[in-house]
Amino acid sequence: MIAWVVAAPLLAAIVTTAFPDLRTRRLVRIFLAAVAAVLSLSVAGSIGWLSLTFTVIVSVLSFLATVFSTGTFSPEWGGSETIWSRKSVYFVLLGAFWSAMLLVVLAQNFAALWLGISATTLATAFLVGFSGEAAALEAAWKYLVLCSVGIGFALLGIVVLAHVTIAGGMDSRLALSWTAIVGHGFGAPPPAARLATVLMLIGFATKAGLVPMHAWLPDAHSKAPAPISALLSGVLVSCALYAIVRTLEVGSALGASWLLHEILVWLGVASTIVAGALMLAQRDLKRMLAYSTVEHAGIVALALGFGGSLGFLAALLHIIGHAFAKSAAFFAAGMLQNDFGTTTLAKLRGLWKRGGSGRLLLAALIALAGMPPFGLFVSELLLVFAGVAAHQWVPLGLGLIGIVLGFAAISRNAIEIESGTSAVPRIAGRLPTVARGTIAVALTGALIVAVVPWTALGASLQGIAVAMDAAP
Amino acid sequence: MTTSLIVLVAGAVLILNGRAVGVLIAYVVLALTVAVLGAGAALASPATFALFAVATLLKVVLAPLAIGLFVRVNPAAEDLRPSVPVPVRLLLVIAFALAAELASGMAALASMPMLNLVAFIVLCGVGMLIVHRNLLAHMIGLLVLGIGIGFAGSMLAPGLPEPIELGTAFDALIATFIGLALVRAIIVHDPLLDVESLRRLRG
Repeated sequence: MIAWVVAAPLLAAIVTTAFPDLRTRRLVRIFLAAVAAVLSLSVAGSIGWLSLTFTVIVSVLSFLATVFSTGTFSPEWGGSETIWSRKSVYFVLLGAFWSAMLLVVLAQNFAALWLGISATTLATAFLVGFSGEAAALEAAWKYLVLCSVGIGFALLGIVVLAHVTIAGGMDSRLALSWTAIVGHGFGAPPPAARLATVLMLIGFATKAGLVPMHAWLPDAHSKAPAPISALLSGVLVSCALYAIVRTLEVGSALGASWLLHEILVWLGVASTIVAGALMLAQRDLKRMLAYSTVEHAGIVALALGFGGSLGFLAALLHIIGHAFAKSAAFFAAGMLQNDFGTTTLAKLRGLWKRGGSGRLLLAALIALAGMPPFGLFVSELLLVFAGVAAHQWVPLGLGLIGIVLGFAAISRNAIEIESGTSAVPRIAGRLPTVARGTIAVALTGALIVAVVPWTALGASLQGIAVAMDAAP
Repeated sequence: MTTSLIVLVAGAVLILNGRAVGVLIAYVVLALTVAVLGAGAALASPATFALFAVATLLKVVLAPLAIGLFVRVNPAAEDLRPSVPVPVRLLLVIAFALAAELASGMAALASMPMLNLVAFIVLCGVGMLIVHRNLLAHMIGLLVLGIGIGFAGSMLAPGLPEPIELGTAFDALIATFIGLALVRAIIVHDPLLDVESLRRLRG
């Protein structure tokens, strides 16, 4: 069943290309994407809460990206001579991307998880370079090389992990299953366990865009078409962080917990400060949003590094809240690109008065800044509590400086682009209501996260957090 | 001893040679040597062997052939444009060899067979990304990295070669065919394929 769930988005995208009529094809695409999204929930009984939570994030946001793409696909996205810059290729690659992310979150062992992460590179390298412009090709190349090196190191770590677990008496068929490793009960920490888990952590952290392995992320996330940027920033980074959570789980069972927590804390501090500072210097909206992704990945790393049930809960809530808020922000940036032909911050003025995309963008920026009533406010508050509980005063202080820098960058730019009088004329008609609807749905998701801690899902997330904290 | 010598010489050529053809030959020798060493682990089952055969074909034959044909059509890309002089690259090779020996001598890693060769190949793969400015060299570097990881799989975890073969074959697929597709588009903007030309996006 899981194999069908994983394959469904790709199959749906391929089937859709068989319909010659444009209107029929659009309807079939949205219908089949909805079927694929609903189908992914059918595995609820056979996977854990953590996998299920991430499956919902992947499916809901990938469905929204498909709907948004269907409503807004612009000829400018693929106007070049490159062989992949075609609308049909775009949607097949989008389906493949969705399937690959489902493989990551539905995998039950590190081999399948790694294949999923690797397959996302396969699908998205062409999507990043979809426009065929020199800058997009540059971004795609950096993405390909840096992520390939990163996930190469993760695979090396997985190989060493297999060596460690088999040497520790585990059956080779279960050697990479996190459930089996956690349940195995290793006596003394195996000697190479630290090497294995650190390599895996560094590899997955590269895909998550944590500083100093982040160089590819701002380029790739800002040069891809807006719905792809939304998925890269909102969902793919979440998948990479999910891989880090699984690594942490296994690292705890193998006696490498302290080292992994320390590394995560300092990767988190570096990411929040560097990204927060660079956000202040950005001149393009999408690039600023991309750096904001690095900052938020840093916040999650910091929360995971602080550990404890509070830290894990903060990390999980932050991943969910950020996925929705960042997707909404990139969708809104895509609408602005469509409306005004630019995402250059200096050219965008008076968006509030012009309604529509500008107001939706403001809501998304408020969510990303971590202001109430959005969910990121709650998760950032929990992060502070987790840091205090862990007595990690210096990393917490430095992390907060980074968060304040990011807040300042978003607030300043939000005020500047929403106020004043616009000098840039509208170059296109309003986008279909369905495109605006996708942003509203994503923003609703970001809002709901604020009340999650007091719901059944919140209880489940707390259960996961407590279980992870109690791991040996 | 002979195997170590072949790997050392092939690794040195990868870092020291500045022409694509020479580096490709060294890569094929390295890939072939590693395939022979890992063949034993692939005989566990027919499925494992089939996967091993496909991965080897991809890594040893198809990937270098595709890059070689690309260089033939675009001779300007033959120069790998090393960014550091030969003596520095030689020192780097010596440093890689010493680091690999040191790693294999560590008590915590003592149980890992042929760790010195694995570490040397992985370091050479990363080294190629650092010392050459040509994008084709970076592709070959990724392939070398994949070879090193595949070798690690067959030496360190012979009980599970299937996921490892699948993983390294995937690596080769990504590095070669997606890389070549992107390089084909980039060469329109820069016939030399110099990484220095990829500096539009900064800050």
